[in-house]
Amino acid sequence: MRILLDKLLVNYPYFAAMILFIIGAFTVMTRSNLFKKLIGINIMESAIFLMFIAAGNIRGGAVPILDEANPQAVYINPLPSALMLTGIVVSVSVTAFALALIIRLYQSYGTTDARRIAELRKR
Amino acid sequence: MTTTIEAHLPVFVVIMPLFVAFILPTFARRIRLVEGLVTATTVLGFLGAGYLASLVLIRNGNPISYSLGGWPAPWGIQLSVGDLSCLFLLMVASVSLPVALFAADNMTHEVGGPQRATRFYVLYLLLGGAMAGMAVTSDLFNVFVLVEVATLSCCGLVSSSNQPRAAEAAFNYLILATLGSALILGGIGFLYMITGHLNMGFASQELNRVWQDYPHVVWMALSFLLVGFGVKSALFPLHVWLPDAHSAAPSPASAILSGLAVKGYAICLIKVLFNVFGIALIRDLSMHRILTLLGMIAIIAGSLFALTQDKLKRRLAFSTVAQVGYIFLGLGLANSMSLTGTLFHMASHAVIKSGLFLAAGAIIAATGKDRISEMAGVGKKMPITMAVFTICSVSLVGIPLFSGFIGKWNLLLGSLEAGNRLAQAVIILGSVLCAGYLFPIIRVAYFEPAPAADWQDPGLPQKTALILLAAWVMILGAVPGPFLELAKRAALDLLVVK
Amino acid sequence: MRDFILKRVAALLLPFIQMYGLYVILHGHVSPGGSFAGGIVVGLAFIAFTTIYGLERGRAKVPEKVTTLVESYGTLWYGIMGMVGIFKGAPFLANKIAGIDLGELGALSSGGLIGLIGLGVGIRVASTMITLFSTMMEEES
Repeated sequence: MRILLDKLLVNYPYFAAMILFIIGAFTVMTRSNLFKKLIGINIMESAIFLMFIAAGNIRGGAVPILDEANPQAVYINPLPSALMLTGIVVSVSVTAFALALIIRLYQSYGTTDARRIAELRKR
Repeated sequence: MTTTIEAHLPVFVVIMPLFVAFILPTFARRIRLVEGLVTATTVLGFLGAGYLASLVLIRNGNPISYSLGGWPAPWGIQLSVGDLSCLFLLMVASVSLPVALFAADNMTHEVGGPQRATRFYVLYLLLGGAMAGMAVTSDLFNVFVLVEVATLSCCGLVSSSNQPRAAEAAFNYLILATLGSALILGGIGFLYMITGHLNMGFASQELNRVWQDYPHVVWMALSFLLVGFGVKSALFPLHVWLPDAHSAAPSPASAILSGLAVKGYAICLIKVLFNVFGIALIRDLSMHRILTLLGMIAIIAGSLFALTQDKLKRRLAFSTVAQVGYIFLGLGLANSMSLTGTLFHMASHAVIKSGLFLAAGAIIAATGKDRISEMAGVGKKMPITMAVFTICSVSLVGIPLFSGFIGKWNLLLGSLEAGNRLAQAVIILGSVLCAGYLFPIIRVAYFEPAPAADWQDPGLPQKTALILLAAWVMILGAVPGPFLELAKRAALDLLVVK
Repeated sequence: MRDFILKRVAALLLPFIQMYGLYVILHGHVSPGGSFAGGIVVGLAFIAFTTIYGLERGRAKVPEKVTTLVESYGTLWYGIMGMVGIFKGAPFLANKIAGIDLGELGALSSGGLIGLIGLGVGIRVASTMITLFSTMMEEES
């Protein structure tokens, strides 16, 4: 039990990422409102971003900007953060596109509920 | 000049479609110019891919590598063009050219207005560029970015006709595909955590050294990547988005989606599985058994679902699910024969399925009917379209002398080599079921009396596109030489234990 | 949106917000932030303008024609900057090894082509944000 607790305390960003990911995936799969699905997707992506950035972090590390006064400084790994910036850009575009589709669906069906839309379409 | 182009060809085939795509919206008023640019780009892409393939064949499979920005491999992004990349590039180019021709003739009509048609072409070229990028890149994060570009373009293509049904299909596709990309990104994150590299070659070396220290992380990475790419390439239990999306899209879009897009993700999976994890690790983790099982289920289930559909495009879409099963089955058997078969089948299915969807699109556009039971007599009224459809169907079933046969034959030899009786049975049963869902369409079209309607073959550009695809099917079947050679070498290359 | 205070405050603040965005874009290679973050700030300034002063006046500031052009050629600009490397006989997107003077470490002019690329990307991002917002506003109304 103590070992588990220790691991949890040391690796808490990963656990947070895991919980967020599960919340996101659960929302996507169980909610029928299109907006909630989209929010779930965004939560899930944030979880992955958190995990990636946590992987690049060094406790007590400095911001990765060259500091000539202190050449021995330990820098955190800037690569995951840079990569996740790209990931965020991608996630923004996905969100924008999904919102446009939701507006389109709302215009033609008058609802944002996936089940209701499926019913209306079959009619 | 020529040597400059030759030296930079690996990056040109990727950036050319992307940058042409971005300047297209400024010409939206002159749709002819847009169509001309798109066709010219696909022709140039085809020439580039062919030239690269010949270079690689001459170099005896020695991959050409290219460092972006001049930064060497572990730090910079490296492109590497080997046999696998060439095969895939050729496949992308040979399919996207006829589809562009076909689209030039009917897109404005099908999506309603030149503005929307321009948007279609932008997405089309973006998809092409992303596919080319997937073929040549050897950087894990690049794979993610290109997968995202391809996914967004695919969703855009599905919803390009602006019908509510298409928007719904696109939304479902977008949600599931984004779930898939989140998983892919997670998998890449796990790999980066334990290896510290994003370059495939370096990550592979490091992974083989340290994986025994982190077995759980390796399992997590593998399963995340498998499910992520599985969703995107419509592996059976994860295929739910595909039939709606592919049947709601305009015909050229469904041709390119079913023919190419699905394969792009499969290529990425192959690269990640065999170039990063490596065949030894896959065998150690029994991953190949899982792939084989999933592949077999997909073949049978996809075919059975296809049998029950009456709408032509939905039947073809479910057929894609079944054919993706063949790809995964071949990966799972994991010997040189089966991998050759998988890679060749991938290429031939891309051409065949594009041909089928374009022919179906022409039929639906001419008759206004999308149910198979209403297509009596189409064969007599639209001889060329139906002939192309027949050639493609026969090839997909796997009759000798057509391209589908060679892929399936190699798969069958591979399953014999692996000693997997069940796989042999499934491959043959899959072919029989394939005949079961494609031949009735041909029977209805040719042997039932035609109504007195005025149905005609489409115009010359569309006919050219269809004939071009049929010719590709025949050429791949009759003289598979260089293509089979590329597939064989790529298969051997994938199986090298690092 | 006829709020007097909101309009005055926005009129005072928005120029500075845009300046800040441009600053972040131009200093992308020597300080945290960069073209994407800066571009978002510039774009958000326009979005704030549109929400406060109404869609028509927002569109008048940045017409659709301009955004289309900026988006197309902003991306093409990236490609052209990448081609500089090829013309100098180095790989695509090459910077230092293409013989471009990198300037003094830490100065604004350091980084060679990176600053120029960042400028193109930043403007393009700003324009994309504006397009996304206006498109959704227009579909809404």
